[in-house]
Amino acid sequence: MKLRLLYLARNLTRNPLRSGLTCAAVALPIIIFVLSAGVIDGIEHFLDNSSRQLRLAVTQKASISNPLPSGLRPKMESLDPTRQGLRSVCGMRWLGGKIENDQRVLSTVAVDADTFPATFPEHLQSAEELAAWQRDRQAIVVGRNAASQFGWKVGDRITIRPSVPPYAPIEFHIVSTAPNPDADPLTLLCRLDYVEEEVKKFGVPVDIVHFFFVKCGSKADLEHYRAAIDKFFANSPDETLTQDEKAFMNQFITQQFNLPRNLSILAAVTVFVAVMAAMNTMSMSFRDRLSEFATLKAMGFGGGVVFLMVQFESLLLCGTGGLAGALAPYVAFTYTPLAHITVPVIQALNIRPLVCFQAVGISLLVGLVAALWPSWAAARMRVVDAFRALE
Amino acid sequence: MAIPLYYNWRNLLARRLSTILTLVVVAVIIVVLCTLLSFAAGIRASLVATGSSINVIVLKPGATAESTSIIQPEESIRLAQTPDVARDAAGNLLMSTEVCVQTDIPRKGQGGASANVALRGVDDVAFAVHPEVHITEGRNFRQGMLEVIVGKAACARFAGLNLGAEVSLGRHGQRQYQVVGIFEAKGGALESEIWAPRTMLCDSYQRRMASSVCLRMSDAASAPAAIEYINGPTVQLDGKLETKYYDDLASKTRDIVVLTTVLVGIMAVGAVFAVANTMYSSVDGRRREIAMLRAIGFSRSAIVLALVTESLLLSSIAWACGLGACTLVMPLIGQRQDFLSDQTWTVLAYELRLTPMIIVAALALAVIVGATGAVAPALRAARLDVLEALRKA
Repeated sequence: MKLRLLYLARNLTRNPLRSGLTCAAVALPIIIFVLSAGVIDGIEHFLDNSSRQLRLAVTQKASISNPLPSGLRPKMESLDPTRQGLRSVCGMRWLGGKIENDQRVLSTVAVDADTFPATFPEHLQSAEELAAWQRDRQAIVVGRNAASQFGWKVGDRITIRPSVPPYAPIEFHIVSTAPNPDADPLTLLCRLDYVEEEVKKFGVPVDIVHFFFVKCGSKADLEHYRAAIDKFFANSPDETLTQDEKAFMNQFITQQFNLPRNLSILAAVTVFVAVMAAMNTMSMSFRDRLSEFATLKAMGFGGGVVFLMVQFESLLLCGTGGLAGALAPYVAFTYTPLAHITVPVIQALNIRPLVCFQAVGISLLVGLVAALWPSWAAARMRVVDAFRALE
Repeated sequence: MAIPLYYNWRNLLARRLSTILTLVVVAVIIVVLCTLLSFAAGIRASLVATGSSINVIVLKPGATAESTSIIQPEESIRLAQTPDVARDAAGNLLMSTEVCVQTDIPRKGQGGASANVALRGVDDVAFAVHPEVHITEGRNFRQGMLEVIVGKAACARFAGLNLGAEVSLGRHGQRQYQVVGIFEAKGGALESEIWAPRTMLCDSYQRRMASSVCLRMSDAASAPAAIEYINGPTVQLDGKLETKYYDDLASKTRDIVVLTTVLVGIMAVGAVFAVANTMYSSVDGRRREIAMLRAIGFSRSAIVLALVTESLLLSSIAWACGLGACTLVMPLIGQRQDFLSDQTWTVLAYELRLTPMIIVAALALAVIVGATGAVAPALRAARLDVLEALRKA
């Protein structure tokens, strides 16, 4: 056994250049695999969280850009006066916006201040944050990724110029940076009553919202009210379209280049590249050692031993490459300044260890597939033929 | 004297499996590069083809796009005094007041996920201001009728917009408009839109404000003065060249190009290693051969050249295969794509494009990968000790 391991080690170090190049050729595609899987994982995590929150999104039926009157809220609340099934309704008005002298687009939304904490319990979890939100009309909750991008912290005053009429700058006071991992990391949430006061000065209509979020008590309630709300407003001047939060969020994500699907294709392609590169090395090293395998078999080693040896060599080579390829992005996106880089759709890339383990598993699989033909050929090879084939 | 190309070709064929595997690695990277860049090129081509440099588009100051801009009737009247606006034969100002709203329309296929499609309400003068817009099928809409014309790209990408179909539009989707024509606009962004009579659209959407005003100048040179007038104290609106407006919207494509550079960069380094691996083994496998070549008088540089040529031959075949595969892959992803701009909140339907620029970029990548991968092995071959190599079996 010890001898076999030694032989294995010698084989790998015999041509260090080739082993190194193969490791690198496997590691680099694995890096891309980890990055794409990390983005997909981030999106899925975000969507899963959306579906766990048991919220419905109510928009105008014809288009999300058509506003709804805020008067719909008491009507929806009247569907369940006990507040057991339908817990709370929170109206939201989209502001978008930018800060002065900066091209980056913000996603700012003004929300009903009274029902916001109940509808979005993942926000404002500490007593101080909640008190500040209720006391300060200029309060704004800034998603943690947006905060780190712009260098904002709790207590800062910021001025946002909304993307909607009257486009006049509004000043806010940051009360929270949404520390809870379940909280939306991107959106800026401010008080609708304050925003309405500000826009009223310019004669812009108030008492309109772009969507409502409805917090439900259970999964069954969610299903029930999804149909009930649309039915309630059917044939009224303000017909609604009610979706669960996951479906609502998903429509924005798929419209950004359908990232989850296209990245999956990219990940598959890179794994394919890794297989090809590893297969190349294994077949080359097999050809170079034809006489060696023949000798081994002539000495009485069985086909199984030779098969396993080639397989192990390939697994070790690809496993090392895969480990390096998985660790590099993990370290880069966890401990270096890259952790704050902006990534489309999810903004910040958090690579979870699970994705890295997956990547190492896949690189082992790559090794297995790459050595399939050489190891099979080595095991099946007829000694006499092999010796004869040599010069 | 150089070693004949024939020698390189036979060498590649001598080790078929290695050659093919390396070829596949390089070809796949070419496919990824071309596909990713074709997204950017498709969007850019669509946005660059839009707008004319003698048109000035006017928005409300602070608005980033037509869809979030609101212009009151009294504000648009002030624009009539803008200097040097062109006039048509009848003496009417070429000033098009337009209203931009949106509607949800399902995409074709893909389970019919719906997209936010732009709807533009225009008067007849709009067709003089945007002369690139012309009807290719059916006829134009008539003012005062519930009729729309649909851009070619929108018609191809979204469901239920064929000639003769009815679409529910309006604030509550309460009005049935009939599609009476399909229009083209030189492949530009306008082809992703639906156009309708402005008065009818305003009525259906219960709004009287316009979104933007587009002015056609009598010549390109008078645009700066007009923009200065519009942005100045008399009008106090935000005018810019139409080409500039669409160019700003194309900024998103820069993200794709950066992302592509990073991804393909990493993959290309991997490919360099794969090529180097193959070439090293090819050098090691024919030490005697190379020693023989040196012995019969070929110089060191001829050997280096031959090996680099061999690698370049391999990578350019890979380039050709990659491009071929790319044309097969694109229909698989869907030749027609759309993306939601985070500035206009409307979708732009575009076609993936393999432009000459991309093909050249891919060739450059193939050459770089091929050459870099071959340099180290070739130098090793050149340094070979002739006597030693010839003696050793």
